[in-house]
Amino acid sequence: MSSSTVSVSAATPTQHPFQRKIDEVKPSKADINFVVMDYLISEGYPRAAHKFAKEANIQLPVQEDSIQSRVEIRRAIHAGDIDTAINKINDINPQILDTDPALHFALLRLQLIELIRSCTSSAQSDITPALTFASSQLAPRAATNPAFLKDLELTMSLLIFLPAETLQPQLADLLNPSLRREVASRVNEAILTNMGARGEARLRSLVRLRLWAEQKARETGKDLPPELPLGLLDTDGNPVEGEDAMES
Amino acid sequence: MFRRSSSYAAVAAGNASGGGQSQSPGPARSGAFSHLAHGGSNLGIQSNLSSPNHTRHHPRSLDADGHHNSMSTSWGRGGQLPSYSGQFGYLNSYGGVAPDGPPLSFFVPSYLRGSKHAEKLEELHRSRMAAQREYRSNHSSNAGSLSTSSSSVNLHKMVPSHRGMTHDVIERAPVFADEPVAPWPTRWSDVDKYAQLDVEDGGRQAKYAGTQKAHDEAASVRADYPMPRQCGIYYYEVTVVSKGKDGRMIGVGFSGPKVPLTRIPGWEPESYAYHGDDGQSFSNTTSGKPYGPKFGTLDVIGCGINFRTGTAFFTKNGVFLGTAFRDLKTDRLYYPTVGMKKPGETLRANFGQEPFSFDIDAMVQAEKAVILAEIDRTKLSARADRDKGPTDESILIHDLVGQYLAHDGYVETARAFAEEVIEEARALTGNDGELGYIEAAEDLDAINRQKIRAAILDGDIDKALKHTNAYYPSVLRDNENIYFKLRCRKFIEMIRRCNELNAQCHPPTPPSKRSIASNGFRNSAATDDYDFEMELDEQLGVHNGTAQWGTDNMDTEDELENKESKLQNLTDETIKYGMELKSEFASDPRREVKRALEDTFALIAYENASQSTLAPLLETSGRLPVAEELNSAILVSIGKSSTAALERLCQQTEALVAELADDGGPGAFINVRRDFLQ
Repeated sequence: MSSSTVSVSAATPTQHPFQRKIDEVKPSKADINFVVMDYLISEGYPRAAHKFAKEANIQLPVQEDSIQSRVEIRRAIHAGDIDTAINKINDINPQILDTDPALHFALLRLQLIELIRSCTSSAQSDITPALTFASSQLAPRAATNPAFLKDLELTMSLLIFLPAETLQPQLADLLNPSLRREVASRVNEAILTNMGARGEARLRSLVRLRLWAEQKARETGKDLPPELPLGLLDTDGNPVEGEDAMES
Repeated sequence: MFRRSSSYAAVAAGNASGGGQSQSPGPARSGAFSHLAHGGSNLGIQSNLSSPNHTRHHPRSLDADGHHNSMSTSWGRGGQLPSYSGQFGYLNSYGGVAPDGPPLSFFVPSYLRGSKHAEKLEELHRSRMAAQREYRSNHSSNAGSLSTSSSSVNLHKMVPSHRGMTHDVIERAPVFADEPVAPWPTRWSDVDKYAQLDVEDGGRQAKYAGTQKAHDEAASVRADYPMPRQCGIYYYEVTVVSKGKDGRMIGVGFSGPKVPLTRIPGWEPESYAYHGDDGQSFSNTTSGKPYGPKFGTLDVIGCGINFRTGTAFFTKNGVFLGTAFRDLKTDRLYYPTVGMKKPGETLRANFGQEPFSFDIDAMVQAEKAVILAEIDRTKLSARADRDKGPTDESILIHDLVGQYLAHDGYVETARAFAEEVIEEARALTGNDGELGYIEAAEDLDAINRQKIRAAILDGDIDKALKHTNAYYPSVLRDNENIYFKLRCRKFIEMIRRCNELNAQCHPPTPPSKRSIASNGFRNSAATDDYDFEMELDEQLGVHNGTAQWGTDNMDTEDELENKESKLQNLTDETIKYGMELKSEFASDPRREVKRALEDTFALIAYENASQSTLAPLLETSGRLPVAEELNSAILVSIGKSSTAALERLCQQTEALVAELADDGGPGAFINVRRDFLQ
């Protein structure tokens, strides 16, 4: 049979030369599958990882052991249950937090934010627990590091503004779920590093590499098309296929 | 006198290219044959060219005018091949071995191991080795013709030469997959050198054999290739074996291809060097700057260019001496160059064949670490203002992975992943309602595509065609090529079924039993253009015999007869379909269509096609490419990319990094696959 491939891209006759270079790169599916598996394992998606091992016929990596406890820790942090998270981290290895004061501080501050959130949920609430926690747990640590102190001060100012409809962005960020997500992912990396695994999922580095390379290439005046779309969005800006296989 | 107007191209053209400059269009013949092809004036040169030693020469230093210099090493300059791809010619000069010579030598300097550029060159080397093996096996029976053919290969590729080739090389078209890869220096050039400077020991050693030079003259030699900027950092070392009688006027550095070799490097424009007699550094001028210590016998001097920063440095006996030159123009070609003045002065080069005395590996690693740290600091927020796609890295990665799994058909994984992501999001927001980005929309389209793909993979082309026409009516209309492939595939699947049925009706039978066969059940289908009819008749005749043989079991016989009539029907259908197919596409002028049709129809000529040379056509593995192609075409028809976003991301990353590597920029230090995908 003829092996000629269909020129599906012929629809765009004035193709940028760089687009051709992109099209000529033939990434190996095995590499991509490896990166996906690496991501599922290190970021803690155990069920997907097991299915993927079966469907793509690849082996589960060894770090898989810790995946369940890492998932539980992530869940606890996401839910704002920092106590549980800290206990579970210490179950794995107390050194993880002992050797990383910044991470420990970030967790405690997250706990303080949760306390403040619940303390200020109504006008009559008592803010004493938040104050006690701040002075007993965070203040001693903040004294050792100016950055910690600044973070603590900012966090404490929440007490003054809450409850509020609108907050200045700096404060709003503290209440944003993405802060929990960020801390959870730092904890996850710390656990992986502690176990001797590569801390960060390769896919994260890859996404950054892509971004960096585009920025650099544009800075140095390389001849690139104005946009390099990934194809996650269709022309109307709607997600394409995103999570489409969910209910089939 | 050694004005140099050479280039990679000339090098690529290789030794065998001696005649390229001359008027004679014929291939350079070896030895005794040369007179057949060439007129008298070129004869001597050609003979020289094809002598057994020619493989060690690197004819780079010739006058484009075609003046054959009286120096023994001067040949007509090679033609201009703006690439390294003149395969055999390049093979000759690269590693200095002819196709029929000993195995090509290849080495990777320690600091470049694992780099993208080294990988490219290794790959090139491997394909050359394969070409060499093939060449040998093709030519071993006719040793006398060896160099003849290698030469003629080159000559046929030659184009008229012109000057300024170096610029052509630099401004060449952007990198494509088959882009030639710039080799690194491997030895001192046998020809790009001062005449009385001897190059010994396989090109590693350079010795001044002439008389003492006047104060402003010297004897210099360049390496065979320029320092490739694609390496990011290039570094080589020179050991002063002997500084001669009473001097150490030795210069180590690099120079452009046209810098006169009668001067010590550093004194001429486009040349840079560190001099042993005064420890000064010289760039483009005879007045030096205080730089490092003096050096002499047994000192090891290293010279490196950092193309990313446009700086050059030297080392002495493993000690870094600091930056010597800044603001180097990185779009120039710089050849490792040494120069000397006193008789007996001898320098030995290490282009990476041996461990270096300076820890250049650490320097390259440090450079890489700086770049990796910079990459790590890159924040996705840079995308935010462009209002395209998710601005949160985690969400973007969720989308990438989810889309990849769905796109490539890992349905179960995609479902499990989506569930886990939802759980995560619920934990995060504490609110089932605020899932926003993660809303699970049933994607009818994905299901349709999966149905079509599954039908093709099952061999049910009719079903695939039906679904495709129902859901995506324009696809087959707009992609006639795919339509044709599907139609051919259907024919193949019919033949497959005929074969299968035939095998069932016709279990392996001892010949003696088969001879009983006699039965009026003959296929009398109308004759037509196809001579495969007869073949089929024979098959049917044979298996009818089998039916007879099975008479002791009525059920089996019934079943068999049933199958036989099915086979008969199917065969008729297949033939009918084949004729349809033929009439539909017979007038198609495209060669690949004709070829595919011929191949496909040929299948029917075989009694058992799965045993024939055409068996690969029947493999079920042939379904996958058709399915993938149709899937891609459908995706394109509904305005989606045929490539998963994650795959696209990999492609873009590789292409962008290659772009940043080509001029010696930061990309040179990154190997996407090795550093990020493994």
